[in-house]
Amino acid sequence: MALYNFKKITVVPSAKDFIDLTLSKTQRKTPTVIHKHYQIHRIRHFYMRKVKYTQQNYHDRLTQILTDFPKLDDIHPFYADLMNVLYDKDHYKLALGQINIAKNLIDNVAKDYVRLMKYGDSLYRCKQLKRAALGRMCTIIKRQKQSLEYLEQVRQHLSRLPTIDPNTRTLLLCGYPNVGKSSFINKVTRADVEVQPYAFTTKSLFVGHMDYKYLRWQVVDTPGILDHPLEDRNTIEMQAITALAHLRAAVLYMMDVSEQCGHSLQEQVDLFRNIKPLFANKPLIIVANKCDVKRIAELPEESQKIFETFEAEGFSVIETSTLTEEGVIQVKTEACDRLLAHRVDTKMKGNKVNEVLNRLHLAMPTKRDDKERLPFIPEGAVARKKRMEVDTPKRKLERDLELELGDDYILDLQKYWDLMNSSEKYDKIPEIWEGHNILDYIDPDIMRKLEELEKEEELREAAGEYDSEPESEDEEMMEIRRLAQQIREKKKLKILQSKEKDTRGPRMPRTAKKVQRKVLEKEMTDLGLDMTNKDDAHYVRRSRSVTRKRKRDESETPKSTARSRSSSRTPRDVSGLRDEKMVKKVKIMAKKAQKKMNRLGRKGEADRHIYDLKPKHLLAGKRKSGKTQRR
Amino acid sequence: MRIEKCYFCSGPIYPGHGVMFVRNDCKIFRFCKSKCHRNFKKKRNPRKMRWTKAFRKASGKELTVDNSFEFEKRRNEPVKYQRELWNKTVDAMKRVEEIKQKRQARYIMNRLKKSKELQKAEDIKEVKQNIHLLRAPHAGTPKQLEDKMVQKLQEDVAMEEDS
Repeated sequence: MALYNFKKITVVPSAKDFIDLTLSKTQRKTPTVIHKHYQIHRIRHFYMRKVKYTQQNYHDRLTQILTDFPKLDDIHPFYADLMNVLYDKDHYKLALGQINIAKNLIDNVAKDYVRLMKYGDSLYRCKQLKRAALGRMCTIIKRQKQSLEYLEQVRQHLSRLPTIDPNTRTLLLCGYPNVGKSSFINKVTRADVEVQPYAFTTKSLFVGHMDYKYLRWQVVDTPGILDHPLEDRNTIEMQAITALAHLRAAVLYMMDVSEQCGHSLQEQVDLFRNIKPLFANKPLIIVANKCDVKRIAELPEESQKIFETFEAEGFSVIETSTLTEEGVIQVKTEACDRLLAHRVDTKMKGNKVNEVLNRLHLAMPTKRDDKERLPFIPEGAVARKKRMEVDTPKRKLERDLELELGDDYILDLQKYWDLMNSSEKYDKIPEIWEGHNILDYIDPDIMRKLEELEKEEELREAAGEYDSEPESEDEEMMEIRRLAQQIREKKKLKILQSKEKDTRGPRMPRTAKKVQRKVLEKEMTDLGLDMTNKDDAHYVRRSRSVTRKRKRDESETPKSTARSRSSSRTPRDVSGLRDEKMVKKVKIMAKKAQKKMNRLGRKGEADRHIYDLKPKHLLAGKRKSGKTQRR
Repeated sequence: MRIEKCYFCSGPIYPGHGVMFVRNDCKIFRFCKSKCHRNFKKKRNPRKMRWTKAFRKASGKELTVDNSFEFEKRRNEPVKYQRELWNKTVDAMKRVEEIKQKRQARYIMNRLKKSKELQKAEDIKEVKQNIHLLRAPHAGTPKQLEDKMVQKLQEDVAMEEDS
C-alpha cells in the first residue's frame, strides 16, 4: 500500500510572483533584438513567439498545479474526509476549478492574438498586439490571487500532515480531553507529543510507531472529543471523528477514573454511548487511566457498577497508569492480539483467502513405529545449567593465580601440555641440527628404516662400490701426457708471439722478408736437428762475386734483345743532363721543389685536399680588423 | 622455527633471512637472497640456471633418487614430544647424513671418471698430430743412418777379412 505522501506538491506561487516569473522568463528565453527594417514575416514570427511562449509557461505551470493537488475522489476516504474537515471540500474544489478556467482563458487569449498577429503590417502594430496579449494573460492571473493564496496554504498544511497508512495495523486512542491519550502514546512509541494540563493540547492527529510480534504498528493520537452532537463539532474534534470513522483500528477508549480531566465519570460514559456506533466492527478496549490516583476499587458503588456493565457487555476494562507504567503493556498486548485476530477473521471471510488456502498444505510426518524419541540434551549442557543455577565455585583460573602471586607470576603454559610422560614437560626441545629440521625426521618407524638403510649400505660396501680405483697408468701413457702438455704450451706461446706482432694495415707476405741464418739454425736445433757445419748449405748468403761468377758460368749471352737494351739505357735521374755539375744542380732543384710540398703536408702534386674548409678565425666573430676581400 | 628451502636455488633459509612472496592463488614462494628473488621476478626458470640445485638435479649432475632421501620429509601430522624418540631421531639423523654424503660423492665421482677416458684419447691425438712442434720427425735419422751405414761397412769389412 503506497504511503500517502503529500510532500511532493509543487510550490504554488502568489499571483504577483507568478506574473513576474513568467514575464521575466519570456524576456530571457526569447530573442530580444528586432528592427523596423526586418522583413514583416520575421517581425510577426518574433512577436508571435513571445505570445506563444508566455502562454505555454502559464499553461504548464497551471497544469502542474492541477495534477499535483490530490483529487478528493481518487484518494482514500479517510484522507478525503480529513481534507474536507480541514480545508472544506467545496472551497478546495472551487479553487482548483478557478485555476482550470484561468488556464483555458489564457489559451484562448493566446490563440486569438496569434491569429490577429498574422494581419499586423508593421513593427509597431505587432508590438502592440503582443503587449495586449501579454497584458490580458497577466490580468487573468491577477484575478486568481485568492485561489492561489488558498492553494498555497493548503499545500503547506498538507505537507505537514502525518503519514497515516489507513490499511495497516493501527491503534486509535480517543476520549475526553486531558484523560492521558498523549501520555499513553508517548509511553508506548517513540513519539513525543506535547502533554499539558490544559484541554485541547493536542489539536491534530499524531502518529507513533511501535513493534509487537515482529510487526509494525501505528498508534494514532487524536484530539479530545466533547459530548455534543455532530453538527456542533469544531474542526479539531472532527479530525478525531474522521479518524474513528475511517480507520480500521483497535480503539482504546481512555477514561479518567480520578476525574482530573475536569469531566465526571458519568459524562465520559455518556460520550462513550454517543460515539459507540463508530466502534462497530472494531475491537474495543476501555482503558481506565490515572489509576495511581484512584483505583476502580476505591470508587463508589454506582461507578463500579458502570464498569461491571461494561464487562458484561464484553468490553475488557484495564487499569493503567501512564505515570507508573502500570498496565500499559497489558493494554498494548491485548489490543494488538485482538486486532490481529479481528483482521485474520475479516480476511478469512473475504474472497481472496480461498486462493491462498488451496495452495497451503501442512505436512505431518506419520509415525513409522512406536518408539519414543525424546529430545537429546548432552550431559555437559545439563551440568552447566545446574551449575549456573547452583552457582558453585569455578575452577581456579590463571587470572586468579596471577593476582595471588603478584610480581612473582610467570605464565607457564607448559604445565597444561598433554604428553606421554608428564616428567618431560619442561624439556628443551631441539628443533634444528646442521641445517636440517628435526621435525622432518621424526617418525615412529625411524629406527626400523635406519636399520634397513644400514643393511643396504653394508651390501654396497661389500660389492666394492666405495673402493677407490688405483691409478692404472703405465709409463707410456705418462710420457704421452707429458708430451701433450708440452705441445699445448708451445702452441700457446706461438699464439702470444703472433699477437705481440701488432701489424695493422697491409702486411708484407712472409716470403718478402729474408730469413736470418742465425734464427733458422736456432729453430732447427730446438727441434732436434744437427745444425753444425752448415756453412755451405744452400741457404747461406754468398758475396756478390760468387753469385755473379755463377751466373756467368751458366749463361754467356743475354736471352733477348730487350734485356741488352735495358742494360745500356741511362738511369732516369741522369738522363738529359750534360755533366756532373748539372746533375748536382738538378738534385738541389728537385729537393727545393719538394720543400713546399713537404711543408704543406701534401702527398704529391695532385693532392689538393683541404684539411680545414671553414677555418674559425676567418668566418666567426665580428668584423673587427682585417679585410673582407677574401675569406 | 624451521629452516625453509629457497624456491629458486633450493638453499636453506635461516630464520631472519630472505623474502617471502605470497601470490594471489595463495602459493608461497620463499627466497634466501635478493639474487634468487630478482631472478624469479624476471621469470627465469630455475631449471635452466646452472647454479641452482634444480638444474643440477634435472640435468643428472647430482643424485636424485635414493633411499636416504626418504628420511627427510615434511610431515603434516605432528607427533607428541617423547624424549627417547627425539634422542633416537637425532642419532639417526647423523648416521643418515653420513650415508647420504657418501652416496652423493660416489655418484659425482662416477660421473667425472668418464672425462678421464676422453682426456686420454685427446692426449694421444694431440701428440700424434702436433709432435712436429717439439721434435722434427726425422730429427736424428741422418745421424742414425750414418751410424748404421758405418756399422754396416764395418761389418762388411769384417766379413771380407774373415772370408
